[in-house]
Amino acid sequence: MSTVMTTNPSKVGSEKKSVAMHKAIGWILHNVVWIWLAALILGFGMFNQFFLTVMNMQNITVQATVLGMLGLAVALPLLVAEIDLSIPANLGFSSAIGALAYSDWGLPWFLAMLVGVGVATLIGFFNGLCITKLRMVSLIQTLSMMIILQGALLALTQGKTLTNLSDGYVWIGNASIGGWPVMPLIMLLALVSVGVLLKMTVLGRSIYAVGGNPLASNSAGIRVDRVKIITYTIAGFLAGIAGFLLASWQMAITSNQGSSYLLYAIAAPIIGGVSVFGGRGNVVGILGGVLLLTVIQVGLAITNVPSFYVGMIGGFMIFIAVAIDAIRVRYFA
Amino acid sequence: MNGQTLKQDTSADADFALRIDNVSKSYGGFYALRSVSLNIRRGSIHGLLGENGAGKSTLVGIISGQRSPSEGTIYLNGREVGGSDVRSMEQAGVFLVTQEPMIVDHMSAAENLMLGVWPSKNGFVRWRKLKADAARMLKGSGIDPTIDAGRLSAVARRKLNILRAMFSGGKVIILDEPTAALTVPDRRQLFEFMRQLKDDGVTFIFISHYNDEILEICDAVSVLRDGSFAGGSEDISSMTSEKLSELVLGRGLVLFQRERRTFGSEPVAVSLRNVVASNVHLDKLDIWKGEIIGFTGLPGAGAKELAKAIFGLNRVRSGKIGIDGAEGQRLPQHPKAAFDKGIAYLSDDRRKDGVVGHLSIAENIALSSLDRRAVFGFVEGGKEATLCDGYFTSMGIKAPGAEAVVNTLSGGNQQKVCLGRVLATEPQLLILDEPTRGIDVGVKQDVLRIIDELSNTGVTVIIVSTDTDELVRAVDRVCVFRNGTIHQTVTGSHITTENLRRLAQV
Repeated sequence: MSTVMTTNPSKVGSEKKSVAMHKAIGWILHNVVWIWLAALILGFGMFNQFFLTVMNMQNITVQATVLGMLGLAVALPLLVAEIDLSIPANLGFSSAIGALAYSDWGLPWFLAMLVGVGVATLIGFFNGLCITKLRMVSLIQTLSMMIILQGALLALTQGKTLTNLSDGYVWIGNASIGGWPVMPLIMLLALVSVGVLLKMTVLGRSIYAVGGNPLASNSAGIRVDRVKIITYTIAGFLAGIAGFLLASWQMAITSNQGSSYLLYAIAAPIIGGVSVFGGRGNVVGILGGVLLLTVIQVGLAITNVPSFYVGMIGGFMIFIAVAIDAIRVRYFA
Repeated sequence: MNGQTLKQDTSADADFALRIDNVSKSYGGFYALRSVSLNIRRGSIHGLLGENGAGKSTLVGIISGQRSPSEGTIYLNGREVGGSDVRSMEQAGVFLVTQEPMIVDHMSAAENLMLGVWPSKNGFVRWRKLKADAARMLKGSGIDPTIDAGRLSAVARRKLNILRAMFSGGKVIILDEPTAALTVPDRRQLFEFMRQLKDDGVTFIFISHYNDEILEICDAVSVLRDGSFAGGSEDISSMTSEKLSELVLGRGLVLFQRERRTFGSEPVAVSLRNVVASNVHLDKLDIWKGEIIGFTGLPGAGAKELAKAIFGLNRVRSGKIGIDGAEGQRLPQHPKAAFDKGIAYLSDDRRKDGVVGHLSIAENIALSSLDRRAVFGFVEGGKEATLCDGYFTSMGIKAPGAEAVVNTLSGGNQQKVCLGRVLATEPQLLILDEPTRGIDVGVKQDVLRIIDELSNTGVTVIIVSTDTDELVRAVDRVCVFRNGTIHQTVTGSHITTENLRRLAQV
C-alpha cells in the first residue's frame, strides 16, 4: 500500500477529501427533518413577523400535541412491520364514548374519560389479536376497523356535534401555567415514555427485533405475537389519550372527529425516519416529523397564502422532505 | 504476481474466455484487491477459493460489473471490456448466479427462465413461443416447465438459475457457492449438469469453501488471500486438499479433531421419551452430560425435525423431556419456554432466522437473554455491555467493535454472533443446526473448537449436520435418522465418513 501512496499521493488525498465530503453530506441529509424545519421556521418568520413570536410558538406546540400523540401511535405498529390505519378513527370514536359516558350515563368526567381511553385501548388490543391470532393482513384489517369506527361515530352522534362536556374535561386543553399551555407537556411526557420504552426496556428491544426479522426473533425466544399485540394495545391507548386531548382542546366532538388526521398521522413518523418495513425509527425523528408538518400547516395559515393554494403548497413541502430522505437512503445509508 | 507472468500475445488470448489483468480495488487507501491477475480458459471450470474477506466478493463484483476496478483491465475473449456496469457485462456474456435465488415462486419454471426477456410482440407476451423455447432449454435438466417454481427442489432451483443465465446469453457464468444446502446426491447431480454445459462451451467460475468440491469439479483453481493472488494451478490434478488449505490460510491448517469420549458413568443430562411431532416419532433417547451427539440423515428423515421439536420451533403432538435427571416434562411449545428450560438452538439459516441484520452485534448477542438480565423490564446497560464484550472477544468476532451492524459482517462472523447469542443464555443443552455451513475452513475450526470446549464444561450438545466430515471431527456419537426415527447409532471408531454416508444416504 505504501508504495502506491507515494507514487500517487494526490489521488489518495483527493479520495480522502471526497470521503469527508460524503460524510458531511450524509450527516446533513440524516438530520434533514430538523434542518428543513429550521429553514421553514426562518422562512415563515421573514414573511410574517408574528410567526416568530413566543405566542405563535406556543400555538404550534399546542397544535402539534394531538398529531404528536397520533404519530407515536402510528409509529409503534410500523416498528413491528405492521400498520394501523384505524388510529385516527379510534380517536374520534373513543372520545365520543367518553363524552357520552359523562353526559348520558352520568359518570363523573374523569371516570368517563377513562372509559373512553379504555375503549380505545381495547380496540387496539382487538386489532392486535386479529392480525396475530387470525393472521389477518394489518393493512386491510385496520382499514375495515377504521370504516367501522367512523360509521359508529356517525351513528353515535347522529350527525350532530357533541358539546356537552364537563368543565373538568375541557380544562387540560385550554389550561396554561404561568402563561405556558399544558397540552404540549402531555405530548412531551408521551414522547419521553415511549422513548424510554423503546430504548431501555426488554419490550422496546423486542419491538425493534421483531420489526427487523420476525423469524429470527421467534427463534431467539421472543414471543412475536405477544409483542405485536402489546404494541397495538399501546397504540390504541395513545389514540384514546389523543381523543381526550382533541375533544378537550376543541371543546367539541364532531361527527367525523379525527378523520382529517389520518394522512398526517401516517406521514409524520415516516418523514421522521420510521421505516415502513419495520425495525427502524426513534421518537426524536417522530417529533421532528410532527413539528415539520405542524409548522407547514400553521405557517401557511398565517402568511396570507390564499386558502386555495394552501393544500398544494403544503403537499409540495412534505414531498420535498420525503424526497430528500429517499435520496439519503439511496446514496448515504 | 507470484510468477504468473502475463501473456500479452494474442494467440494466448484465443484460449481464454476471460483475462483479468493486474486488477486492484481500493476504498480510500484500503486495498480490497491488489494487482490480481487471472486467466480463465474457455470451456473450463475455474475454482475460486479464499477466506471470507480475502477479496473474492470484490473480484466477483468487478467481473460481473457491480463495481469498477481502481486499476487494471478485464479482457473478454481477447477484447478489453470498458463499460463497468452489470448490464454491459451481461451483454458481453458474463453472468453472476448468487446464493440468493432470483426466482419468482408463483410463476412457472418456463416463465422464470425468461423473466425480463419475455418473447413478445407489440408488448404482448408470446406464450406459445415462450413455452416452446423453455421446453427446449429445460430438456435434459429434469425440470417440468409448467411446474410452479416454488415447488422445485433446491437443486432444481440452482439449475434453473444457471439455465436462466445461459438463456440470456451467458458464456461466462460465475457460481457463488452453488452447493450450499445441497445434499450429496443433489450436489452430484448439479456437477453432472455443469459438466454437460462445460462440454457445450460454457465457462464457469466456481466459488466454494469446500476443497473437495473444488478438487472434484474444477479444471483449474486460483486462491485469494488478503486481497492478493496467493497461488493456484492450471491443472487441478497437481493440487491436494492440504495445499489448497495452506494457500487459503497462508499457513498449514490444523484440522480440529475432538478426542472422542465414551460415556456411561456420568449422569444422564437429557432424556427424551415418546416424542411425536411432524415427521418425527422417537421412543427413547438418552444423552449424557458433556456429550456431543450428532444427528444426521436426509432432509425429512427426522434429524432436523427432532431438533426443532425439542426447541419448540415445530409443533409437538406428544413427548417428554427430562433435563439433569429431573422428571420428564412436556416438550417446550415455544422457543421462549425452551430457553427457560436451558435449551438453546442455533439456526441453520442465519440470514433467515438467526440474526436481526440491522441491529448491532451487541444487540444481537443480548437478544435471547434480555429478559433474564432485566430489572422490572428495564435493560441494564452496563451489565449488558460487559456480557456482550465478553462474547465478542471469546468468539473472536472480527469487526471494528460490538456496535458494528451485523449486516456488514461476513457469514462466518455472523455465525459467531448467533453462537454468542445462544451461549449468552447459558444453556445446558445446546442444539446446533448445521453450525459451519457456508463459513470458511479456518472459522470452521474455530467454531468446532468452541463447541468442544463447551462440552468439557458440562454442556450437552446436539449437532445436526449433513456434513459427514464435520461429524467425524466433532462428535462422540452419531444418530442416523430415517423415516422420522433413529435408524442406527454409530459410536467410537465406527464413526467414519464412509459409514455415515452409507447409512444416512446423504
